[in-house]
Amino acid sequence: MTRYDKNNEPASTPTRRDFFARMSDGLCGAAIASMLGTDLRAATARQPYDLSPKPTHFAARAKAVIQFFMSGGPSQVDLLDPKPALTKHAGDLPRAFLDNVESVGAAGGLMPSPFTFARRGRSGIWMSDVLPHLAECADELAVIRSMWTTHFNHEPAIFKMHGGRALPGAPTLGAWAVYGLGSENRDLPAYVALDDPARMIIGGVKNWQSGWLPPVYQGTRLRSIGTPIVNLRPSEETPSEVAALSRALLDRMAAEHRAQRPGYPDLDARIASYEMAARMQISATDALDVDRESTVTQEQYGLHDKVTASYARRCLMARRLIERGVRIVQVFMNCPAGNNPWDHHSDLEGGLRQCCAATDRPIAALLKDLKQRGLLDETLVIWGGEFGRLPLSQGGTGRDHGANGFSIWMAGGGVKGGTTYGATDAFGYHAVEDRVSVHDFHATLLHLLGLDHESLVYNHHGLDEKLTGVEPARVVHGILA
Amino acid sequence: MTCVYPQHRLPSWVCIVFVLHAVTTSGAVSEQDVMVNVFQSKCITCHGKHRREAELDLRTRASLLEGGKSGPALVPGDPEASLVYKRIHADEMPPREDIFGDANYVRRVTTPEMEKLRQWIADGAPVAVDAPYESTVSDADRAFWAFQPPRRLPVPQVRDRDRIRTSIDAFLLEKLEAKDLGFSPDQDKLTLMRRAHFNLTGLPPSPEAVAAYRDDHRPRAYERMIDRLLDSPQYGERWGKYWLDAAGYADSHGKIDADRVRPEAWRYRDYVIRSLNQDKPYDRFLTEQIAGDELFDYAAADTITPERYDCLVATGFLRTAADDTDEGALNFVPYRVAVLSEQVAIFSSAVLGLTMDCARCHDHKYDPIEQRDYYRLSAIFQSALDPYDWRVAGRELSAGRKIPIPESFMRYLPHVLDDERVAVETHNADVQRDIDTHSATVTSIAEPLRKTLFAEKLATLPETLRADVKKAIETPAEKRNEIDTYLAEKFGATVAIKDAELAERSTEFKDAARRLAEARQRLKPKPMIQALFDMGGIPTPTYVARRGDPTTPGPRVEPDVPRVLSEGIEPYVVTKPDWSTDTSGRRLALARWLVQPNHPLTARVMMNRLWQHHFGRGLVTTPGNFGETGSRPSHPELLDWLATEFVRQGWRLKAMHRLVMTSTAYRQASRITPAMQRADPDNVLLSRFPMRRLDAEAVRDAMLAVSGRLNMTRGGPADAIDESEQGEVTGRDAPSGLRRSVYLLQRRSKPLTLLELFDAPRMEPNCLQRAHSTVPTQALQLWNSRMTRACADAFATRVLAVAGDAINEQIERVYWTALSRGPTADELRSATETIRALERAWSNRQVEEDADVRRKALAGLCQVVLNSPEFIYID
Repeated sequence: MTRYDKNNEPASTPTRRDFFARMSDGLCGAAIASMLGTDLRAATARQPYDLSPKPTHFAARAKAVIQFFMSGGPSQVDLLDPKPALTKHAGDLPRAFLDNVESVGAAGGLMPSPFTFARRGRSGIWMSDVLPHLAECADELAVIRSMWTTHFNHEPAIFKMHGGRALPGAPTLGAWAVYGLGSENRDLPAYVALDDPARMIIGGVKNWQSGWLPPVYQGTRLRSIGTPIVNLRPSEETPSEVAALSRALLDRMAAEHRAQRPGYPDLDARIASYEMAARMQISATDALDVDRESTVTQEQYGLHDKVTASYARRCLMARRLIERGVRIVQVFMNCPAGNNPWDHHSDLEGGLRQCCAATDRPIAALLKDLKQRGLLDETLVIWGGEFGRLPLSQGGTGRDHGANGFSIWMAGGGVKGGTTYGATDAFGYHAVEDRVSVHDFHATLLHLLGLDHESLVYNHHGLDEKLTGVEPARVVHGILA
Repeated sequence: MTCVYPQHRLPSWVCIVFVLHAVTTSGAVSEQDVMVNVFQSKCITCHGKHRREAELDLRTRASLLEGGKSGPALVPGDPEASLVYKRIHADEMPPREDIFGDANYVRRVTTPEMEKLRQWIADGAPVAVDAPYESTVSDADRAFWAFQPPRRLPVPQVRDRDRIRTSIDAFLLEKLEAKDLGFSPDQDKLTLMRRAHFNLTGLPPSPEAVAAYRDDHRPRAYERMIDRLLDSPQYGERWGKYWLDAAGYADSHGKIDADRVRPEAWRYRDYVIRSLNQDKPYDRFLTEQIAGDELFDYAAADTITPERYDCLVATGFLRTAADDTDEGALNFVPYRVAVLSEQVAIFSSAVLGLTMDCARCHDHKYDPIEQRDYYRLSAIFQSALDPYDWRVAGRELSAGRKIPIPESFMRYLPHVLDDERVAVETHNADVQRDIDTHSATVTSIAEPLRKTLFAEKLATLPETLRADVKKAIETPAEKRNEIDTYLAEKFGATVAIKDAELAERSTEFKDAARRLAEARQRLKPKPMIQALFDMGGIPTPTYVARRGDPTTPGPRVEPDVPRVLSEGIEPYVVTKPDWSTDTSGRRLALARWLVQPNHPLTARVMMNRLWQHHFGRGLVTTPGNFGETGSRPSHPELLDWLATEFVRQGWRLKAMHRLVMTSTAYRQASRITPAMQRADPDNVLLSRFPMRRLDAEAVRDAMLAVSGRLNMTRGGPADAIDESEQGEVTGRDAPSGLRRSVYLLQRRSKPLTLLELFDAPRMEPNCLQRAHSTVPTQALQLWNSRMTRACADAFATRVLAVAGDAINEQIERVYWTALSRGPTADELRSATETIRALERAWSNRQVEEDADVRRKALAGLCQVVLNSPEFIYID
């Protein structure tokens, strides 16, 4: 059914050899290769559309990443970066701060934190009392207090934090990581997004997009209530030989369709998506079934407490996915007030209490659980939002966005636990010591995964694009074990 | 950070000077602060435009001075002598209940607000004087391509003139030839037909249409097919959906869990579809949607013609934003402002192709759009969507209990067509007769029963009381003396009779009461139009909201359009219509300004949208952002040529579709060669037609269409959706089949699972460009779902009815129906083998009848074909 004129290029029927040469670079190819008894790990070249495991640039410290993305901008001076000077100078408004506050009239004075800080763990990391459970894991954490970003509006800053650019359309960290590393697991997506079933997160599916990387690297969104994946099983069971016959015919049709249309990577992705869907029918059911966890574990995560249940479920799922070789799991949260839970323009105290109550216990339980299972050594856990908040008050009870200095934490594979890195000024306004840009952060994450951010490139529009863009980026060695 | 001078108490890197916070706000309270936060937010509903209780108007300083019944409300310099301050300070105002009788969510004037009011009066109630202001928008800013009127350049000369069918081709070929490329060969006839069908109607051609077209060898067969498609009502359903995406259309309110359904939203959806099918000129289409209510004197109209009805329904374009203000807790200024700003964002991205939203809080960082521009534009809509003179979106306010809203306070207009109004009235009159009958029956049964029950209950009281209680209860409340009132209160509950008790005593009563309740259910709500209309009178003043916060008002602004858009066009001028509908004319002025033939953006943005939906990618790839941070047009001359041609064609979209679709560019094959991959990897130059996956609605509609389950009934209220236990949201099955996706209830919180998986957008707030993901969950949906199963079964049954028992015939029919072509010899062999094997597999089960085995085997093939890439991807 070749239906093309032959003016430009001969539309020759692909040879058997061509067919296999082309097929071997898709996941479908991976499946065929495995059927032919080829060792998947023998693959070395890093080609587009390829999910087979790839060699790293150097020894990896972590095989997987769990990202707790806290959109909205968690307030550093109320969580991880204590500033006693705020109490002393409460109500004062340092004039110089106004240079970076757009509406001077709306800015209030310095506002002390409503929370009490204390040193936690043997390492004595400072945390506020709104994170009581995380406090028990203090010695696992490396807190970076000197993060800064370029945008103080949510969407651009979120895009920046995920993909290094302030515009939509760039691949996310997860997409880059899977592009660089391939998949450890042929039965589950390499990159999973667990979003809050209550509501789509700000930015929507762009939080896990592959952008201009091929679509096979896109994150797969899994539902955390009901059946994790709708239609995971057929609506009506058919005899297995019937299902096999139908699938065989579909595979033939898809392969032929693909062979006649070179240059459309989407078709590879689609073939791969059917292969994976078939395997997911078995593996995902098991991977996402948190009911299989012991009651003790469920209790530890807070699965039975209304306040923590939703986030706890996603945390447990994250662990089960990581255990099964999923590379990247993004865990999102939401709140009834809107799609931006940590955006506390007003009632900062109440808002932070609510956000922490929902997440603190599940996150701490996950860290402990990973450690107990020996998984924390090879799993990188990262926590943070797209920016932080100003130490000033907004409307008396809130804080406005602050991009000049904010805190995140990392834990697990390759991270030096019990570390506090970098510093903001006396008021937590501006990162002043060992500043870490978003690109630095990304370079560090890739480094821990065994990838060199300068070498992990993808040619797009004739440019060798990188996650870390064109500005110089450094690996933050100070937090590495 | 600027170093002013060192502060020794702090580390040297903090070079700052402390100043008292109060000093930065200068201590004085501004007039607009008091006006916005006290009077506009809390008082003017009863003392303002619509109501003037105690003859008092609290909208301006002047009207405060004038005062009302009790004299002047304001004595500058003397808060204690000012009635407004005294009454608020004594907590006498605002009253405990709002105008709807809700006391749950009435907000008092807070202490800080009261203090501001006091201070403002004490300071002599100073008048706000805005500092002189000069726009920073320069001629250099206006020189940016998108702010210049489109220029129609001569059609370029190209080498390969044989490939030029329309001027579009010349513009494209010029760039291709510069890269030593040319157009791809024409796509073959039937593939091109399938492309055109999906593109214009979102549906596959029927096998009969394919056969007829295949055999049509007369000249201009292709052009005639395009005309047929443009004339078909399915064109409006397909392209209307694109406009509805841009408009942010949904059938529900939005953000909160309740996500209440908007039962009248469908009228606007039908208006859009109807308008596109009528080929309504775009300038008229826009004008109706922005200001249809200002096009005629609807308050004085005796009759509502279809044209007038459309004008009012069209304003539904400005009612799409998420709006949960019928939740009492959310019916406050910040939430109302959010509705207004979302609507402004939708308008500016969809119509102007500009991201105005940044300028809500500050001057736009990248585009020459000042914060004032935002509030000027916002002011145009604010005379209708006024946060200080609000209409909630529903028919009732949810404030712990449901409070019905009087019609005069609804954001609905009752001007539906007579036919519909009369039909509902007639229906309701019939139902009312039933209700009266059932009601009489209920009463006649209940009365004696009530007496018996009352006597029984009375008997439980001490004998001495019985006569007095009986008298007290039987006396109407207003005629009761003190003793009666006491007794009624004390013993009323004891002797009260509930309907449930009556039902318990008498099945006859129970049945009659049920019939009455059922009859009441059948009453239809009065048909209304979800419209936008001006609040009339003098519009509430608009202030720049500092940092986007409406409680910190800055300078006052008047309605206007962004200053950077002035090149080559007439300015924005408001004329208040002199007729009985009290409307400001602000939006009509906006519409008139927009549809000037020379407008830098109106036609360009629309033509870019048209191009995007034909070729999968706009000439400007950021359809909602033609500004500095948007992409530059890949073919600026072509975009301008299209924009000017659009105006020359009388703003008619169908003419432009025809022009695009008859071009060589559109008719190209979709094959990619190595040369293209080198010189045009992303197909920016259109060296081939891009193969594309069907979008969400087309996937669903096509599956229903080929399986014969598609009900082609058009328009009307949205179809119900169901949610399975698994969490899958589907259209509700009906004996008549399922309608096209555009007619399904689009509830924001419950997107149809199939559509969502294939990237149907969530309206947050609108969508100008859809994502195209490829993920395993799509495969699970298409392979495993009940929907596919039902379609495959129906498809097989349908094929068997036509093709009979011959497997060859069956396969032919399946291919022609689903893929618009016949199978190749290889495909026929392969499909035959599979069907035979499937038959064997099914008959091995030995539980099936032969006919069932054949149908099931064929359904297996159908399932495969519905999942095949050729079904989902269009060459």
